Amino acid sequence: MVGDAISHAVLPGIVIAFLLSGSRETLPMLLGAGATGMLATFLIEYFHRRANLQTDAAIGVTFTFLFAVGIILIGAYAGQVDLDQDCVLYGEIAYVPIDLWVTEGGLILGPRPVYILSAVLLVVALFIKIGYKELKLTSFDPAFASALGISTALWHYLLMAAVSLATVSSFESVGAILVIAFLIGPPATAYLLTHDLKYMLAITAALGIFIAFTGYWTAYWLNASIAGCMAVVTGIGFAAVFAAQRLMKTKGSPAEPTRAIG
Amino acid sequence: MIIHAQTPVLEVHDLTVTYARKPVLWGVDFTLPAGCIAGIVGPNGAGKSTLLKSIMGLIPVSSGYVRLFDHPLDEVRHRVSYVPQRESVDWDFPVSVLDVVLMGRYGKVGLFRNTGARDRAIAQDCLDKVGMAAFAKRQISQLSGGQQQRVFLARALAQEADLYLMDEPFAGVDAATEQAIIKLLREMAAAKKTIVVVHHDLQSVRAYFDWLVLLNMHLVAAGPTEQVFTEEMMQQAYGGRLSLLSQVSDVMEKRAFPSRED
Repeated sequence: MVGDAISHAVLPGIVIAFLLSGSRETLPMLLGAGATGMLATFLIEYFHRRANLQTDAAIGVTFTFLFAVGIILIGAYAGQVDLDQDCVLYGEIAYVPIDLWVTEGGLILGPRPVYILSAVLLVVALFIKIGYKELKLTSFDPAFASALGISTALWHYLLMAAVSLATVSSFESVGAILVIAFLIGPPATAYLLTHDLKYMLAITAALGIFIAFTGYWTAYWLNASIAGCMAVVTGIGFAAVFAAQRLMKTKGSPAEPTRAIG
Repeated sequence: MIIHAQTPVLEVHDLTVTYARKPVLWGVDFTLPAGCIAGIVGPNGAGKSTLLKSIMGLIPVSSGYVRLFDHPLDEVRHRVSYVPQRESVDWDFPVSVLDVVLMGRYGKVGLFRNTGARDRAIAQDCLDKVGMAAFAKRQISQLSGGQQQRVFLARALAQEADLYLMDEPFAGVDAATEQAIIKLLREMAAAKKTIVVVHHDLQSVRAYFDWLVLLNMHLVAAGPTEQVFTEEMMQQAYGGRLSLLSQVSDVMEKRAFPSRED
């Protein structure tokens, strides 16, 4: 649910970025949102670790506080301007093709989000590739990782920063609901299918692509909301895998006895 | 009563640890010789796990210091292995048995580098030593409690350390596994490795350990088992707990008869 929290917590960042840059250009808005998104994840983690607060409580305290700060900032300094999370949060995937990147010379280079999100994809993929071993160990057994001298706090913050980067940059083009659907749905489905972290990552990515295509064509066919259809396909995919596994288990259990404990 | 070792492998000096201003360990002071199997014994809440964690630098100490091989921990981290309590990790995490054992090699491999074929061979060999070679590809969620403990032990072996700190390795383990583990620990001790074990079962103290640290927030006694494991000392450590005292005197009675393990 960190994604949900970030979507609200980015508001003060947007306002501050607006106050500093004086414009509603996307780039400063994104930078502001990204910075507060990371601040939010750091605060959540800090409260969770240092104050022994439960994660949901830490999330609740942090994102309501940051959201409220954003509201106050708008009221005090930017009351006349139409400024809210719409500027970065509630993107609509159908508009991506018309959000073009046009150079100063008038050259059209294609949809702008494609470039931004490709860069983010590259950064996140590289981060996972380089830190795979450390990320795996610090998530699985933090005490052992610390005993080896690997800083669990550092790696957790880096991971959270990557989550924040990926979510904030996606919010702008596809909207908050779809980001959360894609953040949770594909890995949850993959977890049902495999218990190997590498396969899980691969299946998650493949499922994400599959859902994007089928969701899009369902929307085209039904003439419905693209984001809505993608989220629905995500849910159906999870339910289908879950149901198939339950069926297989009840069928297969007499042939394959449960393993002896020993 | 403290009996110090001549050339200590582990030296804990006047260690005080507090949680939220309440002392958990108070002026603990002892030394351990090389090549011994040492038991840390004491009632619940005596600070046994806390002692291991503070030796590994996992929790801050209020005063005192710990020296390993006559060095501070950071200089000799690669020579020390820590086995956390089995419950401290999420056994539904998507990794295989071999993956977990390979984590023992992470400290040797270093940051950002991957484990190689040699590490795999060592990990496989360590699994073999704990009788889990056939389970290498198995997902850890499919293991029984005793098997999980043996996987943790294999991971510790893969570290090729000289000092092993184990937090309740016999908890939730059946008698056969316990015997297999203690046999392995004896072989390690014979190879001049030092093993420190947090232990609960007073019945097996004399059979398993050649050095004993009796703890009840402060140090009650430390030294060779035959000198420390006396009724007087045990009453000091467990003082006032009647059911335990009867258990203790039960054990003491057994001393009069030659034990089969000896």
